[in-house]
Amino acid sequence: MAIGEKALTEAAIAANRFGLGSRPGDLAEIAGDPRGWLKAQLAPETSLPAPLKSLPSTLDDLRAFTLWLKSLRDEIEDAGMSPADIRPQTPGEMIEQSKGGKGFSVEGSFVKYFIPRLQTALKARFDTAVTTPRPFFERLVHFWSNHFVVSSAKPATIAMPPSFERDVARAHATGRFHDMLLASTKHPAMLVYLDNIQSVGPSSPFAKSPPPEREYDFQDVAPRPKGLNENLAREILELHTLGVHGGYTQADVTSFAKVITGWGLARPTLGLLGRLAMPGDLKGADLFGFDPAKHEPGPQTIMGKTYPDTGVEQGLAVLADIARHPSTATFVATKLARHFAADDPPPALVARLAKRFLDTEGDLAAVMASLIDSPEPWDEPLRKFKRPEEFIVSTFRAGPGPLLTGPMLMVILNEMGQLPYYQPGPDGWSDTADQWMGADAVWKRVDWSVAAARGLATAEKDPSRLASDVLGPTLGEATAKAIARAESPAQGLALLLASPEFQRR
Amino acid sequence: MGTILSRRMSLGLLGGLVGVAGLPGLALASAATRKRFVLVILRGGMDGLSAAPPYGDPDYVTARAGLAIPGPGEAGGALKLDGTFGLAPELAYAHALYGAKELLLVHAAATPYRDRSHFDGQNLLENGTAKPYGASDGWVNRALAGLPPAATAGAKDLGVALASRMPLALTGSAPVTNWSPTVAPPPTDDTLARIGALYDEADPMLADAFRKAEAANAMAGGNRPDGDPYQSLARAAARFLLAEEGPRVAVLELGGWDTHARQLGAYSALGRNLATLDLGLKLLKEGLGPVWNETIVVALSEFGRTVAMNGSGGSDHGTGGIVLLAGGALAGGRVLADWPGLKPKDLYESRDLRTTTDARAVIKGILADHMGIAEAHLARTVFPDSADAKPVAGLVRPA
Repeated sequence: MAIGEKALTEAAIAANRFGLGSRPGDLAEIAGDPRGWLKAQLAPETSLPAPLKSLPSTLDDLRAFTLWLKSLRDEIEDAGMSPADIRPQTPGEMIEQSKGGKGFSVEGSFVKYFIPRLQTALKARFDTAVTTPRPFFERLVHFWSNHFVVSSAKPATIAMPPSFERDVARAHATGRFHDMLLASTKHPAMLVYLDNIQSVGPSSPFAKSPPPEREYDFQDVAPRPKGLNENLAREILELHTLGVHGGYTQADVTSFAKVITGWGLARPTLGLLGRLAMPGDLKGADLFGFDPAKHEPGPQTIMGKTYPDTGVEQGLAVLADIARHPSTATFVATKLARHFAADDPPPALVARLAKRFLDTEGDLAAVMASLIDSPEPWDEPLRKFKRPEEFIVSTFRAGPGPLLTGPMLMVILNEMGQLPYYQPGPDGWSDTADQWMGADAVWKRVDWSVAAARGLATAEKDPSRLASDVLGPTLGEATAKAIARAESPAQGLALLLASPEFQRR
Repeated sequence: MGTILSRRMSLGLLGGLVGVAGLPGLALASAATRKRFVLVILRGGMDGLSAAPPYGDPDYVTARAGLAIPGPGEAGGALKLDGTFGLAPELAYAHALYGAKELLLVHAAATPYRDRSHFDGQNLLENGTAKPYGASDGWVNRALAGLPPAATAGAKDLGVALASRMPLALTGSAPVTNWSPTVAPPPTDDTLARIGALYDEADPMLADAFRKAEAANAMAGGNRPDGDPYQSLARAAARFLLAEEGPRVAVLELGGWDTHARQLGAYSALGRNLATLDLGLKLLKEGLGPVWNETIVVALSEFGRTVAMNGSGGSDHGTGGIVLLAGGALAGGRVLADWPGLKPKDLYESRDLRTTTDARAVIKGILADHMGIAEAHLARTVFPDSADAKPVAGLVRPA
């Protein structure tokens, strides 16, 4: 039975724009009911994808930095020096100290210790994306881990993004936004990444009668906190919920920062950090702790509403309110519309998604269903330019590529400007084509297309057939002709992977 | 630290995939005599007291015990600039430039950054405001918007970064490009021609990026590495600046200055890095030929290092350092320093060389007198919050 062109076009949009790239045969399978195929993927995950199962726990990721510091101390003591000799002067300098005699560099040790961890996690994320039968769900995981961002670019959180992603984005991708916001805000990775563990209420008991200064203790993950740090409070409002024009002021940021003073790691967690024995598979939420001694006493007013001092409940109350704020609905809807419809998000779609968000109190499955049922994501194929990671993933979904190790993957994605888990800032990777279509980046994608095609070509594929198989009717005449006229299968496949249709989604 | 992966590592990791072949450099017509500006970002916190030792300061040997470089004339001694300052022996080419009045040393200089984080310090150095993350674009890009029309005529992109990722310093709305050698095996010319033709026919945005990359490769003389990573980039920078339609400004990056251990010695990281910087100046001058006379290079780091040696034969994050200026358009052959001294009481927070010259004042002087950018544009747009850093006059050789 022949499948109509419209059905195949929608299948291509479902597989390539909503999913992570079609595998041969996908389009024919999806074409019967592309919306149903997508909605089925809104069900939460029943178990972790196989490549992710062996990754370290959140506790292990959290301890990694401390254990590295401990191993460093052993080496320092072996050299007959004292840890005091390398006491850090400022937080930024924490990893930059050194041990003499043997040409040992702290920075070198740090990179050697953590890069393999990162490469393993990167490969697991990549293998999951390439092999998953639920590519739309997986795209949503990537989307949310680029909304709630913890980056390896900060040394203290270098090991944490993979387990943060699992505990936050993967656990709640199609759940409730409020739950994801809580999972993120209480996660040790976020509390360290945006410095809340260093934030102390200026009138808190801790600030008024600080415990006696100790010699620097390697079991601490940060230097002794001295006062208020607004970083997390600001980014929650600006990047996670309301958006920069969401209607809050600097005074709101300061008040909110005071509200979440004391949000940090559980005391038992701090004790566990330096121990070698592993007490089970603890997730982010299990490691959260509230320290009343660091909490700023008193009521706080945020966006016109006063929250009495109820300890940790005060922060929970603020988060509950901002999670269902209209600005948050619009901010989230705008980002989703940009990701799934167009760089310049259609206002009608944004309004529809925001309304659904508000009506359902942030039920993300309901919001995504509304997106799937909207006309805008379906009305014009290939409007979005693939970012480097999704581009590489989609080449592998189209067919077996060259053998790619974790280190090679790291080099290739780094060269294209998107090393996963390594966002330059808490605002995440950009989602518009202009940021990814730089001359150097496009050239490297072309280089990659040619290199990957060499691997694909050994499978004796017919490039023209593969092209129509993965692109369906979105394959344009110019590309089809160029592929058909190629001098070899490898060149035909290179033209397919480098083609505008394959570079876009 | 800069980026997590150095190009050297990249080349090593891709091992088997890579067939590194040098392409012959293209012979490029010498461009008209327009002004050129090169920024070299020295990432990691360069030790200015080692690069340019104040050997004549009576406190130098004591304050830098363990790190002090012998005076001029002694074995391994500093290369004399004047009665107070010298250059590290690795900077022999720079020293020759000084003799030719094509090098100028500014000492005890720094950006306004006074803390000690690489990340924040580099962000501030590049964003051009007085605080980390104070702007989301870079001062070099903002400066391009103030170039006089005559300086930009014929140029497609006004600036180029020799880097795989656009550094913040050059990020912004003025047209710029970036280039770096590719480590993957090269596609054949025929395949590239077909891909280019397909883009021309089917996708104007991709076509534009592709043609830009092609033009960049032509200016750089191919897209294969040409020598060591930094050498390759320095050679390419010269080719870009020479090209008729090429950029007027180039940004280079050289990392590895975070020398916490074993600074001294022939094979120390610091010694190697200084030699690399020195060779880079040579490659730029040789590559630019006559255009060197229209060029000024500014090299600086996010901060300097501690005066005293640390426990491991290195130095830790400090404050004051140096700004190194080079180029045929420079009124060089001198040292600019309001020297704060090295006695314990003279030091910033009892540990760092005190900053007496704002690096922005030096850069503003170059951008105004050499590149012809209006002072109002410099004060308002390029370096906002820099009212106290008046442009330093007289840095440029009179025409």
